[in-house]
Amino acid sequence: MAEKNDDELLVEQFHRGDESAFERIVKQYSADIAILTNRLLGWPGDVEDVTQDIFLAAYLGLKKFRCECSLKSWLFTITINKCRSSRYKRRLRLRRFSQEINRFSFSSDSDGKHIDTDEFRHVRRAVAALPAKYREPVVLRYLQEIGTDEISRILGITTNTLNVRLSRARKRLRDDLVEIIGL
Amino acid sequence: MTEDKIKNLLQQADKAGGGIAPVEVNVSAIRRRARRKNIINFIAPLSAAAVLMVALSILGVVFRTTEPTQEERKIALLETQIKQLQIRTDAALSLIQEVLEDEQKQHRLDELKAQLASIPDPLEEVRQQVDKTAFILVYEADRLYNELNQTDSAVENYNRVIKLFPENRWAKVARQRLSEIEKRKTNQTI
Repeated sequence: MAEKNDDELLVEQFHRGDESAFERIVKQYSADIAILTNRLLGWPGDVEDVTQDIFLAAYLGLKKFRCECSLKSWLFTITINKCRSSRYKRRLRLRRFSQEINRFSFSSDSDGKHIDTDEFRHVRRAVAALPAKYREPVVLRYLQEIGTDEISRILGITTNTLNVRLSRARKRLRDDLVEIIGL
Repeated sequence: MTEDKIKNLLQQADKAGGGIAPVEVNVSAIRRRARRKNIINFIAPLSAAAVLMVALSILGVVFRTTEPTQEERKIALLETQIKQLQIRTDAALSLIQEVLEDEQKQHRLDELKAQLASIPDPLEEVRQQVDKTAFILVYEADRLYNELNQTDSAVENYNRVIKLFPENRWAKVARQRLSEIEKRKTNQTI
């Protein structure tokens, strides 16, 4: 509740023309946004450009934000939309250079920057390969550990739809990761 | 159970994926980009409108100065012919209207003539009445003379017919009767 009040205060200050309020919003949420972006984009490691775009969209839209939901949920909604368009643009680029798909799609894994086991890489690939409508609920529910009500608000879907999507996503993951899960 | 397993697996895989490169959100760059975007959003529709207006004016000038094509000439000729045809049709229609009105007038005139013809001639009626009166007077005089032997009254009636209707045919009959009465009177005295 206190966090919500702080958010409302920050938004109100921004509405009054206090530009420093936006800096405080960035400071408060940039880490969360970057982590979510990294997960939604399939763990590329470098998400600075997309995060920058997300906060640009937030800066432009903050004047119209009326605190009908929490600031964090609103920023997560922007993040979801920006990640969708980013993935779409990347897919278009990769389609143009289809011979380089494997090298580009998981560049962070191939450059040896992270110490990773084959199993976990396989899991991340399975999540990244899910369609957006399944991947987003999975990331928000199991990795961000957000409640179903808030997720349905962020994604703009009903709780029933969310549960159905989560169930289908789990089934897909079970099918893809049957050797690892052992079911 | 499976859900928990999947959740644990996903979280482990996420951790194993390593962290992300430190994110430095450049707020001043965001402000610059936002300003630029706002300016673009403001200018873009104005520029589009200006370009559209220029294009329209150019098109207007081009269409005004260029010679009409053969098809346009044909269309113009056809339009003129259609207009002429329309004028002729209007004239023919007004002529037909006039003829119809004349016919109606003539028809009405014939009806009135027939009505007038059906009305009896008053002069003829008077003439018939005169003839009838004269006949009755002669008839009465004949009855007075032949059946009742009232010669004076009969003569008086004959004279009345001659006096009142001198041109009538019964006046001629009355004169004959009077001369006959005169002849008989002279024969009786002889």
